[in-house]
Amino acid sequence: MPRPKLSRMANPTGELSMSSVDSVQDISNRIIAVLGNPNVGKTTLFNRIAGIRAKTSNFPGTTQDARHAQCCGAMLIDLPGIYSLDLEVSESVVCRQVLDGDLAPTGVEAHVPNAILVVIDATNLMRNMTVVAEAIARRLPMVVAVNMMDLAERQGIHIDLERFGECIGCTVVGCSGKTGEGVDELMQAVESATIPDRSAPTELDAIEAWGDDIYSLVAAARETPVDDRLTDRLDRAFTHPLLGVVTFSVVMTGLFWVIFKLAAIPMDLIDAWFGTLGGWVSGVLPDGPISGLLVDGIIAGIGGTVIFLPQIVLLFFLLALLEGTGYLARASFVIDRVLRPFGMSGHAFVPLLSSHACAIPGIMAARSVPDPKDRLATILVAPFMSCSARIPVYVLLTVILFPDSPGMQAVAFTSCYVIGVLAALFSSLLVRRTILKGPSRPMAMELPSYRLPDLRAAALLTYDRAMMFLRKAGTLIVAISIVLWWLGAYPNTTVSIADTTPEQREVIAAKAQARHSFLGQIGDAIQPVFEPLGYDRQLTIGVLASFAAREVFVSTMAVQVVGSDDAEDDSVLESIANATRDDGTPVFTRATSWSLLVYYILAMLCLPTLVVTAKEAGGWRWAWLQLGWMTLLAYSGALIAYQAVSLLS
Amino acid sequence: MVDHAQSNAQANGSIPLTQLTRGQSGRVQIDGAATDEVKMLRAMGLRPNASITMCRLGEPCIISLSGACGGGCRIGLAKEIAGRVMINVESQPDAQTETQPDGQSNG
Repeated sequence: MPRPKLSRMANPTGELSMSSVDSVQDISNRIIAVLGNPNVGKTTLFNRIAGIRAKTSNFPGTTQDARHAQCCGAMLIDLPGIYSLDLEVSESVVCRQVLDGDLAPTGVEAHVPNAILVVIDATNLMRNMTVVAEAIARRLPMVVAVNMMDLAERQGIHIDLERFGECIGCTVVGCSGKTGEGVDELMQAVESATIPDRSAPTELDAIEAWGDDIYSLVAAARETPVDDRLTDRLDRAFTHPLLGVVTFSVVMTGLFWVIFKLAAIPMDLIDAWFGTLGGWVSGVLPDGPISGLLVDGIIAGIGGTVIFLPQIVLLFFLLALLEGTGYLARASFVIDRVLRPFGMSGHAFVPLLSSHACAIPGIMAARSVPDPKDRLATILVAPFMSCSARIPVYVLLTVILFPDSPGMQAVAFTSCYVIGVLAALFSSLLVRRTILKGPSRPMAMELPSYRLPDLRAAALLTYDRAMMFLRKAGTLIVAISIVLWWLGAYPNTTVSIADTTPEQREVIAAKAQARHSFLGQIGDAIQPVFEPLGYDRQLTIGVLASFAAREVFVSTMAVQVVGSDDAEDDSVLESIANATRDDGTPVFTRATSWSLLVYYILAMLCLPTLVVTAKEAGGWRWAWLQLGWMTLLAYSGALIAYQAVSLLS
Repeated sequence: MVDHAQSNAQANGSIPLTQLTRGQSGRVQIDGAATDEVKMLRAMGLRPNASITMCRLGEPCIISLSGACGGGCRIGLAKEIAGRVMINVESQPDAQTETQPDGQSNG
C-alpha cells in the first residue's frame, strides 16, 4: 500500500490553532476528543495510538464506557460511536456533553476539548460526512483521520486526501488502525491541529447535499460491484428463525464450555497458591489476631477476588474475538425476537448469558446495550441468572432432596436454571411496565463485514476489563471479607473439654466459635425473620454469611455442623445433610430444602454484584432496588415453597 | 418514512421496504417529519435517494446500502422499522441485483 498522503492546510483566517489555545491553558490538561461513526475502526485506531496506556472508566452518572489515555501530552478520549451528534440516544448525548465541556471521564477534569479527532471510514465516506459537518460546526481545532485506507484500496476506492482537506478546510490524514500505517503522521497533525477555515451546513438536508458534493469531488469507486453472495448466504443462515437459533446455541454453548473448561485450570492454581500462601503465613506467624486477619481476612479475601479473574479474562477475550468476526451483530437480531416482548433487546443476550458464569462480568457486558432503559433492565435482572457460585449450593440441596435418584437430581438442577431465567424475564417485564416505562427500542443496526478478529484489540480490551475488575470490585471484596472474618472470629470463645482428641477439640471449638461470634449472635437475632421459611439459627447464619458470596454457604454450614470447612470431602456433605437443630430435629427437612433452594435461586446474595450494579447503573438506588426486589421475590418464593411442601407432606 | 406519510408515498408509486422481494433494488423516499427514528436512519445512511438492495426479508430485514457509501454496507432493521421505510422500486430481483455506487467521479 502506498504511504497515505498527508495534507496540511494553510490557516488563512488566522484562527487559533490547538497550540495557541494551549498557551492560555495548562498544557498537561489538554483534551482531544476522538469522534466517529460506529464500525469505522475508531477503537482499533485508539488502541493503536494508546496501547496499554488506555484506561476504562465511566462518564459520571451514565452507563457509557469511557476509554481514555494520556498520549502526546494530551488526554485522548475515545467517545462512543455515533451516527450523528443530533440524535436523542445516550451515545450522542454523551458526545455532545463532552464537546460542550460539561462531561469528562471519571478522573479527568471536564472542559471544552482542545481538539477533535474525527475518525471516518474510507470505505463509507459519504455517510461519515454527517459527523464531519457536525464537528466542523463546533469551531474547534480538528483533524480528520480517514481510517481503513488499506481496505478501501483493496475495494478499489480511491480518495484524494489533499482535495478532501481543501474541501473541509482542515488537515486530513489517511491511515489504518489495523496496520499502523499513517498513525505517526496523524498524531503530528493532531498536535498542530487548527480550527477549520471552511464552514459546514447545520441542517440535515444541507449536510447530506454538502457531503454528496464533497464525495463526488474527492472519491472514485470501482466500476464493478463487490460480490457479496457469501455474505448474503451467511446473513440468511445466521438470522434464520430456526437455523439461526441452532447456530447461536452451538456457538454460545461452545463459548461457555471453553470458559468453564479452561478457566478451571488457572482457578484451581490460584486457589492452591493462595491456600499455600495462607498455610505458610499461619506457619510463620504465631496464632493470634494478626495471623487470623492476614490468613482468613486478607489472603482469603484477595484469593476470593482473584479466583474470578480467569473467567472474566476468558469471557471478554472470547467475546471480543466473536464480535470481531461480525457474527454477534447477526446473533443479536436472532435473540431480539425472544427478549423484546419482555422489554429487553437482543443486545441483552450476551450480558445475560455471561451472568451464568458470574453476574459481575455479565453486568459489565451490559455496556453494549445501546438503549439506556434496555440496559438498566438488563443490569437489574442479570443476577437472576444462576451463576457458578450457586452451583455448590444447588449440588448440596439437590443431593439432599433426591439422595438416591441422579435423574431427579439432574431435573431439579436444570429447573433451578429455568426458574432463574423465568424470574429474570418476569422482572424485566414488570420493570419495563412500571419504573422504566416505554417501548423497547426496535433494533436498527449496521451489520459489519465478516472478517478475521483482531487479536491485539481483543487482548487490549481484555487487559483493560481485567484491571478494571481488580481495581473496582477487588478492593471492596477484600474489605467485606475482612469484616466477615472479624464478625466470625470475635468475640473469641475458648472451650475446655477434657478426654477428647485434638481433632474433636478443634471441631467443638469451631462449632462454639460459630455460635458465640458476632455473626452467631446476629444469626440468633435475625432467625425469627427466617422462621416462616423453616430456617433455624445455623441456616440463618449460613444465609447471612452468603451475602458476601453465595459459595460461602456450604463452608459456613460445614464450620457450624462439622467444625471443618473442607466441603470437598463427601463425609462433610453427608454431615451437613444429616445436621440437627438445637432440639435434635433435622435441619434439612424436605420443606426446608425446597425453601432454601428457591431462596438461593432468586435471592441477591452477592455484595460485589451489588457494588458493580451501583457503578454500572449509575447510582446506588438501582442497587437497592435490585436487592429489595430480589429479596422480596426470594422470600415470597421460599415461603410458598416451604408452606406448600409442609402441607403436602 | 413515517406512518402518516405512507399512504401519500404509496400514491407516488413507492412501497414499504418490507414489500420488496429478495434481490430487488430501490431508492429511499422520505416524506414527512424528521422524527428521531428518521434522523437515526438518515444518519446511518438510509437518506433520501439512497440506493438499497434487499438481502433478507422478514425479522430482521437486511438491506445492502450501496449508493450512500461507496464501499457498501449492510443494515439490519427490525421489521417494525422496515415497514415504515418507503422505497421507490428500481429493479426486479431477476434483473441486476447489485447497484453501482452513485455520485462517483474521478476526483
